Amino acid sequence: MEINLVGLAAALATFFGVWLGHVSVRKIERETVRLWIPTLIALVSGFGLWLASTLTSSLPLSAASGILGVTLLWDALEIYIRQPRRIRHGHAPANPNNPRHTRILAEYPEATTVDLLDRDPIGRPFTAHEITALKEGVK
Amino acid sequence: MNFFGIWICLVTLFVIGMGFVWVIRGERYFGYLWWPYVMGFGFLCILGSLFIANEWVSALCGAAGASLIWGSTELKEQAVRGELGWYPFNGRKINPPFVEVIKKWKAPSL
Repeated sequence: MEINLVGLAAALATFFGVWLGHVSVRKIERETVRLWIPTLIALVSGFGLWLASTLTSSLPLSAASGILGVTLLWDALEIYIRQPRRIRHGHAPANPNNPRHTRILAEYPEATTVDLLDRDPIGRPFTAHEITALKEGVK
Repeated sequence: MNFFGIWICLVTLFVIGMGFVWVIRGERYFGYLWWPYVMGFGFLCILGSLFIANEWVSALCGAAGASLIWGSTELKEQAVRGELGWYPFNGRKINPPFVEVIKKWKAPSL
């Protein structure tokens, strides 16, 4: 039986595309003041990988390039729109050293510098008092 | 020109999108402690993809396996999201087999 590497290439591209995108979006959005720069880089890289995927005759390479391209295009959306929205809602921690985040902290009462997800589940809903205490611990 | 990668990536985008759905729903009804089973099934999908001759099915199987592995690492954070009230919380979850053993393991979070 022959081994088909297309599935493995798709799996590696999917996992590392999503993982690296997940980590880098949080890091980049946290540190960057002008979000259009990394957004543009992600868009150009994503479309570049899409173009590359059409130019190779290797199916594993074409699949990996296409998938990495689409994850980069998704990352552009995450950097510019979705992650700042999480910051505003307090669903991701704001960086008080980033002037853009400082404005968000001043304008949106839900925004916080605390990473509320950085804990183990407790098996029951947090009370409003507990959530307030978690936020006030650092803010 | 070879459009295999473009079509596969669009299907993969759908698979990743479905990952958001099953992580949210799965955690709500089953809880995050199912993560080793989900991760194991993901690895089996990738292993299986090596032996599938059809390129499309193999790629889809590999991408689905990777999405399952990724989703298994998201379940713990999703549990906390539910507890924080960002998603509906269900207190009557269906525990997995060997739940007491799994509780002793550190749930992955990337």
